[in-house]
Amino acid sequence: MNDQREPSLDELGKWEIQVRKGGLGLAVLAVLWPEKLYGLEILRRLHSQAGMSIPEGTIYPLLSRMKAEGLVDSEWVEADAGHPRKYYRLTAPGRGRVREMAQSWRAFATGLERLLAPLEGASK
Amino acid sequence: MSPNTSRDAGQAHLDTYLHQIQRHLGGLPDAEARETIAELRSHVLDKVAGDHSVRAIEAAIEELGSPREVARLNVTERVAAELETNRSPWRVLSAIGRLASLSAYGVFAFLVSFSGYAFAAACLITAAVKPFNPRRAGLWRQSEDSYSWMLGVTDHTQTGRELLGWWIVPIGLGLGLLLGWLTWRFGIFSVRRMRRTARGGRA
Repeated sequence: MNDQREPSLDELGKWEIQVRKGGLGLAVLAVLWPEKLYGLEILRRLHSQAGMSIPEGTIYPLLSRMKAEGLVDSEWVEADAGHPRKYYRLTAPGRGRVREMAQSWRAFATGLERLLAPLEGASK
Repeated sequence: MSPNTSRDAGQAHLDTYLHQIQRHLGGLPDAEARETIAELRSHVLDKVAGDHSVRAIEAAIEELGSPREVARLNVTERVAAELETNRSPWRVLSAIGRLASLSAYGVFAFLVSFSGYAFAAACLITAAVKPFNPRRAGLWRQSEDSYSWMLGVTDHTQTGRELLGWWIVPIGLGLGLLLGWLTWRFGIFSVRRMRRTARGGRA
C-alpha cells in the first residue's frame, strides 16, 4: 500500500512547487505594493502573510531580474543595524504589471473555484 | 573565547564564504558582482541580528546555499534575462561562454555551440568564395587511403580529390544556414535549461 502512496505524494509535492513558482513573481511584486522593503523583509512577509517559504538564495536573482525588466527600483540605505540595506520599491511600470497579474490571477482562481465547488461535499 | 574574538572569527567566516561566491561570479559585470556580494553580506548580517559568532553566521549562510549554488543562480538568471531582450547569434554564444565555467553542461554547451558556429561559417564562406576562386575553395579528400578532409578556402591549390565541385555553393549555403540556425536554437535552449537547473537546485 505504501509503495502506491509514495509516488502520488511525491507528484503532489512537485505540483505544489510548480504552483508556488508560478505565483512567486506576483507575490514578490504584491508584497512591495505598500512600501519599499529589503530582501530579508520580503522573505519574512512572504512567509508570514502568504505561508510561502522560498529558498533564501533565490530572492536576489529574482529581484535583479525584475530590476532589469524595469519593474522595481533599488537604493542602498544606511540602517540603524550598522550596515547598509538595499531597499526595493515598485516602479510605475511595476505597479501596472502587478495590477494586470492580479487581475489575471483572480480570473484564473475564480474559474478554478467554480470547478472545485462540487468537491467540497465529497472531501468532507 | 572573548566576544571580540568570536565576532572576528564570525566575520572571517562570512568573508571567506563571500569570497568563494565572488570567484564564481565571473559571468557578471564587476559592478554587479560587487553589488551582489554587498547585498548577500547585508542579508547575512540582518539574519544573525547582532550575533556574529561563527555558529550564527554558519546557520545564516546555510540558508543561502553553497557558494557555487548561489553564484550559479545569480549568473544564470542574469544571463538568461539579458538573452530574452537580445537573441543575436553572437549574444547567444557570449551567454553560453559566460555560463561555461559554472557546470559540466555549460562546458559541453559551449563546445557544441562554438563548433557548430565554426562549421556553419566554414560552409558559408566556402560557398561564397567558390564562384570567385574555384580552385582554392571547396571540399577535398586529402588522399584515397585516409579520412583526412578539408573544407574551406586555402592559399594554395589542393592536391587531393575535390568532392561536390560546384555543388558546394548550394549545399554549403543550405548546410551553413541550417547548422547556424540549429546551433543558435541549441544555445537558447541550453541557457534556459541551465536556468531551470539552477532554480531547481534551490527549489
